[in-house]
Formats: sequence, structure tokens, C-alpha cells
Amino acid sequence: MTPIKLNKDQIQKIVLSVIGFIGLIYCYFNFFLGPLNRSRESMNKTIAELQAKTASSKNEIKKTDNLETEAKQATGRYEAFKRTTAEGAPIAWFPPKMRTFFSNQGIDKGNVRLESSADFSQPELSNWLKDSWVIDLPQSDYGVLGRAIAELENTEALTSVQKVSIRAIPDVPQYQQVALSVQTVLVKK
Amino acid sequence: MALQLNLLHEEITEERQRKRDPLKLGVIALCFFGAILFVYYGWNAYQTLQIKGQLNAAQAEWNAVEPKTTAAQKRAIELHQIIDSTKVLDGLIEGRFYWAPFLAIISHCVAPNVQLTVLDGSIAEGDHSIAVTLEGVAAAREPRAAAEDLRQLLIEQLEKKYSTPKVTFKNLEDLDTLVNVSGVPTASARFVLSINLNPKGAEPTNANEPAKEAAKPK
Repeated sequence: MTPIKLNKDQIQKIVLSVIGFIGLIYCYFNFFLGPLNRSRESMNKTIAELQAKTASSKNEIKKTDNLETEAKQATGRYEAFKRTTAEGAPIAWFPPKMRTFFSNQGIDKGNVRLESSADFSQPELSNWLKDSWVIDLPQSDYGVLGRAIAELENTEALTSVQKVSIRAIPDVPQYQQVALSVQTVLVKK
Repeated sequence: MALQLNLLHEEITEERQRKRDPLKLGVIALCFFGAILFVYYGWNAYQTLQIKGQLNAAQAEWNAVEPKTTAAQKRAIELHQIIDSTKVLDGLIEGRFYWAPFLAIISHCVAPNVQLTVLDGSIAEGDHSIAVTLEGVAAAREPRAAAEDLRQLLIEQLEKKYSTPKVTFKNLEDLDTLVNVSGVPTASARFVLSINLNPKGAEPTNANEPAKEAAKPK
């Protein structure tokens, strides 16, 4: 085999071809295959993230469903508590309600006034209001009063009697003058 | 041996040189290699398109799940709030002091020769302890003893329902005036009793159980 003798022109052409080849490789990897691979990797990463988020979300939805089932009793109780607050301002409906209540128990001429209204310090009760009322019952029989307070304590769960003041009426010994300080827990409207 | 003359020597040499032209060979190799790279690129592009399809599917699934998740998160927060609020409200309800049973005990302890004139009771803000003041008049041959009997009876009865009740006299004084007890003039004493008790263990009364009348006319 005879050795290939390359002349100057041929060497130039070979050098040109090698440069062209290097340029092709460079362009191919940098401008075509590189971006494509980067895009593919990015999409793979996004898919993995989305799948993880979707799985986590499905898990969360399932947990919420379970919580809903578990909290059914609490939700029912909460709704019942909320229903104890009537529509409108408490000063408009609570005094007539108490007057009617005591009247039904046989204690007439009751007078109810709002003493104070405040928020609860507990963050769980941020939607609830603590109202203090004074109920004056100018003439009441002790036994009737006892039954009325028992009825109030048993039927109005969110009402608590904070102070009781019973004074005998000198001229009418069978009756007492009563002042009750009552605290109510009402939904903020 | 015949003499062979190659008259086309130069043309053949040129032809050979043209055939092994490095530029031409390089272009052919480049084209061949370029074709391989193109096919490889095509294969990669096809895979990328497939991945894009998967991405679109994942995105569509996420788009479908996301609103439900947001709603579920809101509902979970709401449910936790409801559960916590209900617990605190239940605590408030269970921590109430029921006055009706207390008033019933007082009425059971008051004898016919004792009249209560004032009952003031309140719940302390901090420890929820109960402080009650009872004022009244006791009439008997030994009126102070009658008042003491009331105090003892109150302790005995309150101990059954409440923990550590304390019943103490704040004041006990003989009165100069005589009062009629069943038509008999009797000596009397005015007393002020202080009752302190812990409401733990208190239970609501049945509303049908009537509290007996305490203050009875002499």
C-alpha cells in the first residue's frame, strides 16, 4: 500500500472538514439536543412534582372526608349552639325571651337589662360574645324561683347564673325580691 | 513483452485525486454523521413529546384535584375550628354552677323557727368558687343554738354534694325583741352566715324536683 501523499490544498480541505465537524457537533449539542434534554428533564421534574402534589391532595381530601365523619357530632352540637342565638341584636330578643320564660314559670313583672358585653379571651370563641344580663324579679316565691332556675339551667345550656340575690319583702313575707346576674354565650352577628 | 504506453496517465491521476478529495470525503462523512445525529434527535424529540403528553395528563389531573383540595383544606380548617369551639363551649357548659340544687339544699336546711331575709351568692371569676351570704333570724329558747343548728345542718347537707364547703358565722347577735313562734313569744338572734364551696361535683337538678320554700312566715 502506497502512503497517501497529501498536498497543501488537500491538507487545507481536511482542516476545513475537521472544523466543520467540530462546529456541527457543537451546534448539535448546544442548540438542538441540549435544550431538548433540558426541556425533557424539566418536564419530568414537573410531572414528579405534580404527581406528588396530586397524591398529597387526594390524601388530604380523604383525611377531610374522615374528619367530616368524625366531626359529625361536634358539627351537630355546634349548629345547635348557634341556633340558641336568635336573629337580630341580643338586646332586642333576649329580655322579652327571659320575661316570657319567667312568666311561664309563674314569676311576672320581670325586668331584664344588659349589664356588659365582651369578647372571650379564648381564640376558639372568637365568633362568640359573652353578655351579662341582670334579671330583676320584684316578687317571687322561693319554690317557684328554684324551679324556674332549674328549668333555666337545664334548658338554656349556654346560659349560666353568675349571681343570685334574694331578699325578703317585709310587708309580703311569702314573696322575695330577686336579682339574678346571668351570663349568655351568643354568636356574633 | 510488448511495450505498453499509458497516454492517459495525467487524466487517471487527476481522476484518482478527484475521487479521494478529502473535502468531498469529509462532506460525505459529515452528511452521514449528520443523518445519524438527526435520527437520534428525532428519537429524543419523540420521547420528549411523549413526556409532554404525560405532563399534560398530570396537569389536567392536578387542575381537576386542585379546587377540591382547596375546598377540602378550607373545610378542614372550618371543622377544626368547630371541634375546638365545641370543646370550649362544652367546657363552659360542664363548668357551670347549678344554683337550683344549692337553693334546694338551703330550703331543706331551714327549720320553721328560722327565717332567712337575705341570700346573696356569686361565683368568683378566677377559681369559680362559690361565695354565699345568708342573713336571717333564728328564734328559740336559745336562739344562738338554733342558728348554730342551721350552720351544722348546712355543712352536713352541703358536704354531700360539694367538696370542702365552709360555713362560718360572720355575725351572730341577740335581738331585744321577742318574736311569735306558733303563738309563743320567743327570744331571737340575728345571724349572718358565710358559705364558701367548691362547685366541683355539682350536677344539674331535675327541673321537676321542686325546691322547697325556705323563708317561712312566723
